[in-house]
Amino acid sequence: IVCAFQVLLMGKSGSGKTSMRSIIFANYIARDTRRLGATIDVEHSHVRFLGNLVLNLWDCGGQDTFMENYFTSQRDNIFRNVEVLIYVFDVESRELEKDMHYYQSCLEAILQNSPDAKVFCLVHKMDLVQEDQRDLIFKEREEDLRRLSRPLACTCFRTSIWDETLYKAWSSIVYQLIPNVQQLETNLRNFAQIIEADEVLLFERATFLVISHYQCKEQRDAHRFEKISNIIKQFKLSCSKLAASFQSMEVRNSNFAAFIDVFTSNTYVMVIMSDPSIPSAATLINIRNARKHFEKLERVDGPKHSLHMRMR
Amino acid sequence: MRIKSMMGMPTRIECIFFSEFHPTLGPKITYQVPEEYISRELFDTVQVYIITKPELQNKLITVTAMGKKLIGCPVCIEHKKYSRNALLFNLGLVCDARTNTCSLEPIVKKLSGYLTTLELESGFISKEESKQKLLPIMSTLLEDLNATGACTLPIDESNTIHLKLIQLRKDPPIVQEYDVPVFTQCKDHFIKSQWDLTTQQILPYIDGFRHIQKISAEADVELNLVRIAVQNLLYYGVVTLVSIFQYSNVYCTTPKVQSLIDDKSIQEECLNYVTKQGQKRASLRDVFQLYCGLSPGTTVRDLCSRYSQQLQRVDERRLIQFGLMKCLIRRLQKYPVKVIRDERSRPPRLYTGCHSYDEICCKTGRV
Repeated sequence: IVCAFQVLLMGKSGSGKTSMRSIIFANYIARDTRRLGATIDVEHSHVRFLGNLVLNLWDCGGQDTFMENYFTSQRDNIFRNVEVLIYVFDVESRELEKDMHYYQSCLEAILQNSPDAKVFCLVHKMDLVQEDQRDLIFKEREEDLRRLSRPLACTCFRTSIWDETLYKAWSSIVYQLIPNVQQLETNLRNFAQIIEADEVLLFERATFLVISHYQCKEQRDAHRFEKISNIIKQFKLSCSKLAASFQSMEVRNSNFAAFIDVFTSNTYVMVIMSDPSIPSAATLINIRNARKHFEKLERVDGPKHSLHMRMR
Repeated sequence: MRIKSMMGMPTRIECIFFSEFHPTLGPKITYQVPEEYISRELFDTVQVYIITKPELQNKLITVTAMGKKLIGCPVCIEHKKYSRNALLFNLGLVCDARTNTCSLEPIVKKLSGYLTTLELESGFISKEESKQKLLPIMSTLLEDLNATGACTLPIDESNTIHLKLIQLRKDPPIVQEYDVPVFTQCKDHFIKSQWDLTTQQILPYIDGFRHIQKISAEADVELNLVRIAVQNLLYYGVVTLVSIFQYSNVYCTTPKVQSLIDDKSIQEECLNYVTKQGQKRASLRDVFQLYCGLSPGTTVRDLCSRYSQQLQRVDERRLIQFGLMKCLIRRLQKYPVKVIRDERSRPPRLYTGCHSYDEICCKTGRV
């Protein structure tokens, strides 16, 4: 049994929708996206996620002619049965009023056709903003968008394809769609506590988005998850360019040991141990033993416990 | 000469349009002649087939909507110098939905090829100053193609476009050695020097009585070449095929024989054609009686003996020939089958029921 979700990816032409989608789901590195052409009308892709989740991604070309069509002749087709709307804003845009107008037209159509849809706003291309201005500018935009979106609630992220913020946004979005995420987290916590790990992260295998994590105490860098996603994904791609496939990694210094390894058929795991006395072998055996349990979780307990279920 | 399509409607181009993908506006019509021909609604309906996704690019696409047919070839030229890494455009034609547009397809393809080359060589389309030249070019195209079916357009100092609507005809049937070609119009209508050498060599031997094998022998041209040459003449409607004339042949009338009574022009043509040389014109009554005398079981020889009086002023060979050409009569072929077989004799080669009497005569050298 598989859950399928319709995810709309909309925004002005050239705002970065296809680039983001290519990086997260199609193994592009940021530099590769320079080659991409304009999206003509809607590009549909089916992304299989965690084995039991399918994202029907609708990447909608943002040129005026297309946008106008979406709100008129294609309205029902596009805006019905939408689970998630991701709206992308180019932070450098000179036509703020026009951008907002299109955004609001989208919200109107969503309100009429899929009022329960979750709305995410990505303020994108933040790398083009001076570093010291970024927080301020994002805050401003977020306030505006929250206000404009009422009565719908929107979650805002600042993103760039050149750093980990892209992963943070998409992780958070996908996280909300995973059918059995609570179960995963409970099991992850048990696992972490048993093996005395400081922190355990669970990544989706193809995209390397963090889908679950446990930490036993506060850590310094709140953005470490997406940074790791970004770094490991890049490394994984580099390996495949050399016709080698990334399997596992161990990073060790006097303070900690980090293990990244294939976990279940749909996930990777990262285990951080700060007790230097525990040998690698022990941790690796623990990881191996936990695999079967989590594999079972993925298969059996999936959609039965999910609150959202839609057959396509 | 107006080009007529197979349905009999002239292929009239109502509009020529040039459509582009604009980086922020999206697909739009940059130029069209006459102006405003394609409505906003029509374009919205079909735009996805004009500026297309990659899978449909560089293919000839005809889409029919709202009573109109749009024939175009969406071009995509990829290069990082273009905004969004590619140039997308489509120069297309619009006709009424009932028009048969087969003859326009090569034109559209050729135009897209020309524009692609011009763009690759000198940025003809991506530069505003040269793109503007498209409008007068499209006007001339529309006028010339509709008026004469052909157009010669100098684009710039070094490039000229040549276009012509070619009428597509049905494939001709295979010509057999026992078929007889006959000219559909007076032989002198066709300018001899325009044909190829082989055709020129066999032309004098086409008289409506010689069959292919005979023509090949007498004109001293290889059989297959004669076949191909005659097939070519068939394609252009210069000749039609009838069967070998023998007095043992059997014919019968078709419903079209009625036209001899109804249609004055066929009457005239017939009487002029079938009258014996040097005789007074045959009467319609006699000729009609003769045609009606043809029936299954009656050979030409029988006809001659029964209607000798009517045949005084009529050449029976030309009578039959005319009847076949105009489909007033048709030939009843016979297919011999060897019936008596014993174990000693070989299986029949020709007498299987699959080969006509004419074919057998031809192959065994009896004609």
